[in-house]
Amino acid sequence: MATETLEQPVIKKDRSEGLLSKRRRRFVTDPLNDDNPITVQVLGICSALAITLKMEPTLVMSIAVLFVVVFSNLIISLFRNLIPNRVRIIVQLAVIASLVTLVNEVLKAYYYDMYKVLSVYVGLIITNCIIMGRLEAFAMGNKAWDSILDGFGSGFGYAWIILAVAFFRELFGFGSLFGFEVFKAIGIENFPNNGLMVTPIGAFMILGIIIWIQRTRSGYVEQ
Amino acid sequence: MRQSNAYIIVFSIITTVILGGLLSVASVGLGPKQKVQVELDTKKSILGAVMNIQKSDDVLGIYDQRIESLVVDINGNQVETDASGTPVVAENVSIEKNYKLPPEERLYPVFLFKGESGEVEAYILPVYGNGLWDVIWGYVALDRDLNTIKGAVFDHKGETPGLGARIAEADIQSRFVGRKVYNSAGELVSVSMLKGEGNPAESLDDHHVDGLAGATITARGLNNMLLNYLEHYQNYLKKVSS
Amino acid sequence: MELISLGVRSIFIENMVFAYFLGMCSYLAVSKKVSTAVGLGLAVIFVLTITVPANWLIKEFILREGALSWMGAGFATVDLTFLQFIMFIAIIAAMVQLVEMVIEKLSPALYGSLGIFLPLIAVNCAILGSSLFMVQKDLNLIESTVYGFSSGIGWFLAIIALAAIREKLKYSNVPDGLKGLGITMLITGLMGLAFMSFIGISI
Repeated sequence: MATETLEQPVIKKDRSEGLLSKRRRRFVTDPLNDDNPITVQVLGICSALAITLKMEPTLVMSIAVLFVVVFSNLIISLFRNLIPNRVRIIVQLAVIASLVTLVNEVLKAYYYDMYKVLSVYVGLIITNCIIMGRLEAFAMGNKAWDSILDGFGSGFGYAWIILAVAFFRELFGFGSLFGFEVFKAIGIENFPNNGLMVTPIGAFMILGIIIWIQRTRSGYVEQ
Repeated sequence: MRQSNAYIIVFSIITTVILGGLLSVASVGLGPKQKVQVELDTKKSILGAVMNIQKSDDVLGIYDQRIESLVVDINGNQVETDASGTPVVAENVSIEKNYKLPPEERLYPVFLFKGESGEVEAYILPVYGNGLWDVIWGYVALDRDLNTIKGAVFDHKGETPGLGARIAEADIQSRFVGRKVYNSAGELVSVSMLKGEGNPAESLDDHHVDGLAGATITARGLNNMLLNYLEHYQNYLKKVSS
Repeated sequence: MELISLGVRSIFIENMVFAYFLGMCSYLAVSKKVSTAVGLGLAVIFVLTITVPANWLIKEFILREGALSWMGAGFATVDLTFLQFIMFIAIIAAMVQLVEMVIEKLSPALYGSLGIFLPLIAVNCAILGSSLFMVQKDLNLIESTVYGFSSGIGWFLAIIALAAIREKLKYSNVPDGLKGLGITMLITGLMGLAFMSFIGISI
């Protein structure tokens, strides 16, 4: 597993370790497949399903989550030696909530259409287990740059799964991708829109199938 | 020392101040831009009832030039100030809040769409009602004859995508163009969506448009919304046409 | 009655799990045994019934534009809605802490069996989500309480049903890749499909 917990002894690292050494590259690549936050660690499912109706809101949500997870990892990592243990969780929550509020305000000001579509789910990034999970499992015990990389890894791992779900839902539910009508463009005029994809059920099914494929390929079996 | 109560308290206070300050700065700084966005959104909807808005259009500019707004009450009389004496601005009247009041107490905004030489080309009326899951609303534009629908836009909060949510699509909204709200006897019959889609052309007369497959309840909500609000605006419309 | 309609809608039609996908994380982790599911479900109902009205009070008297006017005329234009997320999650965390202490005193057995899941309720999306929906739907105090309570019941129903099914699944031959999360996703999808049959009921 690519996660390092508080209990592990701090390994003295060679000062000349490259910025993107093999160990560090794994922080980014592991969550993409073997240690995917959604399909393997079973975190962050809540918001993953609701906004995956179309690709555009999903992309905005992925960027928002990426921003929050990277910066909260960075901030907590920088201050990890200053935070008193008893208020640890509260401080983490406060940092996450502030970052999410920032994202919300910026969306409201510059991207009002998406703000309306995403509505409550931007706020729910706060309770996205991935973010809290990374802070507790990684940022509290690791240095800043490593934490940033870990944030990117988890963020991308989350992003590609929800984008995959949205891809199928929008394609089969609306016949479009990012609003661009794909089937009309290649000449199929009356592609029947699959109503199931448009409902929550489609999201569950697609996610279940993606998990099935991914776990079969990586050989991970949940007990 | 790190775990002492004093340290915890001081740390918490400093964290609260820093985070609170950061967010306040962001909120105050972005505040004006956010207000503009809301204003833009409302005005785009209103204009959308009479014209096709392109992304590059200067919505605020067009709105200032072509729209004159006023507020009337249920009797069709213009309302200048509200109960507490503050002047009413049509764009700020919350249709949603007014919907909760009995019709006699509501404020009804009217948006007049003017042509090049200043004469009124269309009367844009906001409408509000209940769909299947949550509320629906829109703007209906009546032509100069106060009978023919020049255009309509509808929106919703939580209708089912692909079903009730289609009321927000242009091809559904365009069905209303050209329909009439008063019948030949001068009675207000509004325009209704028929049940189901693909109805024969003979049934799609002046007062009926094709419905929505699988979204009967949303369509019914839309029909009620139109009829209700047209009834509320009747007194005003009669005053204008006289 | 309006309130009953709101309640029934929140339980069946706008179910926290099947319609809004909220509270999935703990839902998936705890639904392996019906007994833990029941315990967690009851705790969630309790927390929701307290936090939604509590957050309503915060929204009404501190956060929204003009809310602070009881502090003096000078504060009448202050709009603190940007603090909504922080204040709501703070109230939720505080309430969960309270519930935890109460349960520990009243029923140490339940406290032991719930273990880590109790503090995890604080980050359960369904709790924060219900408060945020309460703001979006513009409910009043009584409606907020009813909404919180019935959302909790809806979540409770969902988690118990899933736990019961998963208990039976232990004796089935699920393909390796689908074991655990995968099959749960598919089952939840089918259950959601079943709940969709409640659409169109007008009460």
